[in-house]
Amino acid sequence: MTSMVAYIGVSLVLFTLGAIGVCIRRNAIVVFMCIEMMLNAVNLAFVAFSKLQGNLDGQVAVFFVMVIAAAESAVGLAIIISVFRSIVSVETTDAAQLKW
Amino acid sequence: MSFMGFLLSAMALAAGVGVVWSRNPLYSAFCLIVNLLSMAGLYSVLDAHFLAVAQVVVYAGAIMVLVLFVLMLLNLKAESGRKLGVVRPLAAFAIGSWIVATAYPSVVDNFKKVSIHELQENLWRSEGTVRAIGEELYGRYIVQFELSSLVLLIGIVGAVMLSKRKQPAIGPRPGGLGGKA
Repeated sequence: MTSMVAYIGVSLVLFTLGAIGVCIRRNAIVVFMCIEMMLNAVNLAFVAFSKLQGNLDGQVAVFFVMVIAAAESAVGLAIIISVFRSIVSVETTDAAQLKW
Repeated sequence: MSFMGFLLSAMALAAGVGVVWSRNPLYSAFCLIVNLLSMAGLYSVLDAHFLAVAQVVVYAGAIMVLVLFVLMLLNLKAESGRKLGVVRPLAAFAIGSWIVATAYPSVVDNFKKVSIHELQENLWRSEGTVRAIGEELYGRYIVQFELSSLVLLIGIVGAVMLSKRKQPAIGPRPGGLGGKA
């Protein structure tokens, strides 16, 4: 049981690192990568709990998270590219046209 | 936690720190690849063999290639000279420690409720082989599985629509970068 707590701890720290990255980084692609890292941390928790509970539902959930992450990465990178086309920058602070 | 689990966890955490800290987005991307590969190793340690392979193929393979492709395409330099400031890292650290401090005790409490007997019985029963995952996916989760193909289709269409130009570029466009050819 202690080993499973350790896995959950790793997952928690990774998720927190991702959240910190989303907060402090300005490059939109790095923010995107930090979001991927948060998704992965949750996946690790799913797998650890699946092992703990003795059924495969957690692993199926991880599969669906991977599907969503693939779709999200395609759409997100397309958005980043189209933002880059209009303001020639991927810094999140530069995309401030709607700011009053 | 076994020795391999410890090693892979340490690798994943170190690479995660690298993703957040390195100034060059390219180094962040490579750190993320190391992170994803060690996560695949962790899945393998946790008996989720199919997910380990899928992690290598989908995440470290497809998604990271896409990210690196976009990074090279945009040809970014290291983050510009503007300083990070004091407020943002402090706020991030506060949020991070808040998340850990809130979540960790509840997780440990929940673990205490699970009986040891049940655990010993469960630990060997869930092995995520391709066959077992496939039986779950095509059995109880068939509707969700088919719907996920729809999500991927919508993702493809959305990506194409977003990256399509509004009008075919005949001459150099004023302002934009794309019209050099």
